[in-house]
Amino acid sequence: MQNITIYIDDKKLEVESGKTILEVCRNNNIEILTMCHLEGVLDVGACRLCLVEIEGVNKLLSACTTKVAANMVIRTSTERIKRYQRITTELLFAERNHMCSVCVANGKCELQNLGYKVEMDSIRYPRLFPQCEVDTSHSWYVLDHNRCIMCTRCVRVCSEVEGAFNWSVKNRGYQVRIISDFNTPWGESTTCTSCGKCLHACPTGALWPKAIVQGQLDKKPEIIEELMAKRKMGL
Amino acid sequence: MSTEIVSSEKEIQNTDPRIKLIAAKMKKENYKADALIEILHTAQNAYGYLPMNILKFITKELKLPPSRVYSTVSFYHFFSLKSKGEHTCLVCTGTACYVKGALGLLDEIEHKFSLKPGQVSADNKLGVQVARCIGACGLAPAVVLDDEVHGKLTNEMITDSINAKIK
Amino acid sequence: MNRNDLKVISEKAKEKHKKYKHKICVCCGAGCISSGSEGVLLKLQKEIVERGLQNEVEVIPTGCMGPCNQGPLVKYLPENTIYQKVDCENISQIVQSQIVEKKPIEDLLLFSDFHPKPFINAHDDPFFKKQLKIALKDCGDINPEEVEDYLAYDGYLALGKVLFQMSPEDVIAEIKHSRLRGRGGAGFPTGLKWETVYKYVSEEKYVICNGDEGDPGAFMDRSVLEGNPHRVIEGMAIAGYAVGANKGFAYIRGEYPLAIKRFEQAIKQAKKNGLLGNKILGSEFSFDIEVRIGAGAFVCGEETALIASIEGKRGTPKPRPPFPAESGLRGKPTLINNVETFASIVPILNNGGEWYSEIGTPKSAGTKVFALAGKINYSGLIEVPMGTSLREIVFELGGGIQGGGEFKAAQTGGPSGGCIPAKHLDVKMDYESLMSLGSIMGSGGLIVMDEKSDMVDVARYFMEFCMDESCGKCVPCRVGTKMMHDLLQKIYDGKGTSIDLERLEELAIYVKETSLCGLGASAPNPLQSTLRHFREEYESKIEQDID
Repeated sequence: MQNITIYIDDKKLEVESGKTILEVCRNNNIEILTMCHLEGVLDVGACRLCLVEIEGVNKLLSACTTKVAANMVIRTSTERIKRYQRITTELLFAERNHMCSVCVANGKCELQNLGYKVEMDSIRYPRLFPQCEVDTSHSWYVLDHNRCIMCTRCVRVCSEVEGAFNWSVKNRGYQVRIISDFNTPWGESTTCTSCGKCLHACPTGALWPKAIVQGQLDKKPEIIEELMAKRKMGL
Repeated sequence: MSTEIVSSEKEIQNTDPRIKLIAAKMKKENYKADALIEILHTAQNAYGYLPMNILKFITKELKLPPSRVYSTVSFYHFFSLKSKGEHTCLVCTGTACYVKGALGLLDEIEHKFSLKPGQVSADNKLGVQVARCIGACGLAPAVVLDDEVHGKLTNEMITDSINAKIK
Repeated sequence: MNRNDLKVISEKAKEKHKKYKHKICVCCGAGCISSGSEGVLLKLQKEIVERGLQNEVEVIPTGCMGPCNQGPLVKYLPENTIYQKVDCENISQIVQSQIVEKKPIEDLLLFSDFHPKPFINAHDDPFFKKQLKIALKDCGDINPEEVEDYLAYDGYLALGKVLFQMSPEDVIAEIKHSRLRGRGGAGFPTGLKWETVYKYVSEEKYVICNGDEGDPGAFMDRSVLEGNPHRVIEGMAIAGYAVGANKGFAYIRGEYPLAIKRFEQAIKQAKKNGLLGNKILGSEFSFDIEVRIGAGAFVCGEETALIASIEGKRGTPKPRPPFPAESGLRGKPTLINNVETFASIVPILNNGGEWYSEIGTPKSAGTKVFALAGKINYSGLIEVPMGTSLREIVFELGGGIQGGGEFKAAQTGGPSGGCIPAKHLDVKMDYESLMSLGSIMGSGGLIVMDEKSDMVDVARYFMEFCMDESCGKCVPCRVGTKMMHDLLQKIYDGKGTSIDLERLEELAIYVKETSLCGLGASAPNPLQSTLRHFREEYESKIEQDID
């Protein structure tokens, strides 16, 4: 791969072409907020937290899906971008029923962490308080739709890494929900291998093992990346 | 619902001409996942909705993950997973049935039960729908009551058959 | 059939038409059919035979003639006299008076319920006089179910010319020269799009015709597909030749069964006559078209969502770049154009790009089809040169406001567009002018509102539409449209505060700038444009605020 020159937040960088803006930023310790990105699975550009400004492009583009090009001038933390990140975070909190204090993921939750990062001190939009189910039919695991942010990391891990295709998404608009098989209870799934990768992929307390108490969750999303790296090396 | 009773695919294949339509469509499309929506259209047209056992049949034949099929079905407003009404009367309006008096049957149903296609009775007992073709052309005019195909119907017969169902 | 056969058949078809002294067209577009035109057609055919006039009078079922709410329409040629609201009872009278006595029937003439003196030649009526039919040309004159009819109107000659006398580069140059822009809404230069797809090297490429016309109140594409399907097929085949694709898909809304039926029938006829399929007209070029039926999802009008849907998946969009021109259907370079765009290709190649580019305005060349609806006297389908003013469309072509009401606003572009208030009635209808007023051209829906319309309710209605049609993939559109809808509902119900209005405006900008696809990016348009032009209506609903 040939090297190209790009500028990120007024810093001149020599980077490999073919990389995404997100990869380049992470390699150069420039922080980009993300929710739907997970190392090891394909990017979908759905959470819109990683939007960046690019000179000469009139739209904001998602860093995870946009590749760097020679002489690209990128801005990652303008006032506009910060403002939008905060709104996105507030909308995510307002969409479902997120109660950190009683959540298994309390203290280890990527959504909660995001709230701190964007300095969210209140949610200015009315909470939607949707009626959400908690699927406890699996012997070991729980899916709590109240805490799901529809990042679809579980869906992608299940199809791309495990190859089980247990998870997908039903309906559309604000009524989307994660489903297993034919919208069947997880415990009755014919495709789930109970591998548990989706639990590690999930950024919040939506997927968790039953043998855990509040705040005790220990998620390791990095295992997906490690697994895929090993696979690439043929291990 | 009576569709749940007919569970094994073999059994459906023997009793329901509509399954042959769907099987033929899948064959024509070479069992490609690409054609899922086209096949769902065929099924929806034949049944007026997408019964779960039919979805399972399609999923198996196309070798697709169940979640892939369900997610697609639930995305599009054309597809419905529920039949309307406790009992459904699906009148075939395919060419053969049309020629042999399907519209007369619909008029009769409207006259006797005050229901037009797409409507459900106030007590939710009976829903009336039309299908573009159920593949029972030799039996024209044909009507599917719940899951039974009734063929060569006259106006009197249709009223009696429906009354027998909803009583 | 090779190229010479085509000319012979076309001449023969022309001869056949010339044989008849009189021609009576019965509109069999979906609009007229629903008001009973098929019965009228049967009765007319019977009447002609009964009177032994079958060698003198040709009866033709056609596509949409335009003034849809006056249907069923019957047109008498060569005089071009159109009769409106014809029912079976009138048939005998029409034949007797028009054919035998050669006298038009005043009471039945088009718009006789509006005009004190209706026109015998319909072209003299402002509704038609101000129109310039290019995409809709022949629609309403030919039988869409007969390929011979299309051939009699020089059909497929452009394809023949392209295949034997032009290189793909020539075709693209001609389209570029015409300055045609995509008629689906965004107005991207068509020639440039073709060139981009042409330049990507790939064994497999695709051409897709986007007929997923989802805007409420829009039916341009339906009418073209129903009224002149071969024109679209020919346009697609030319596009395939130009960009190097051998396979095309036509994605048609499931709500349009008649359009689907006629288009599928037209594909069959074209294949049978060697106008589609292997080695078209004896050339080295092969091209095939398959129909894909939409399943009720507005978002599938978006390019990447449409591709996902053709692949049999949920119609969720993908971030662009990469654009479909580079990586589209099955990851291959894909050209996507709208129905009206494809329908404009044949006339451009027949008359030259220069001719087309001189119609319209400097930045928006050619004509645009609009579907007039709402509180307007003559609703229906019209085609006018770009740059025609809104005032002309509403008050001259459209015959003014229904019931003598007052014009308040015109909504263009459906749920992605905006409202144009009375003070901008002289706006020229082209891409840039509409954009500068906070609306968009869109696919051509034009809904006229009178003084009784509540603009907050209009905004709420369109937001509800976008909320229901959002695919749910990205956060701004999924949650943002729901929030905006709830806030609009609150204000509409008289329970809103000035803070709610502030939140609404902030969200509108946010959703517009951050959404993944065009649906979200344009969902705030109806809200923002009504806020811009009718802010006082919002404020009057929150006046009682105590803050």
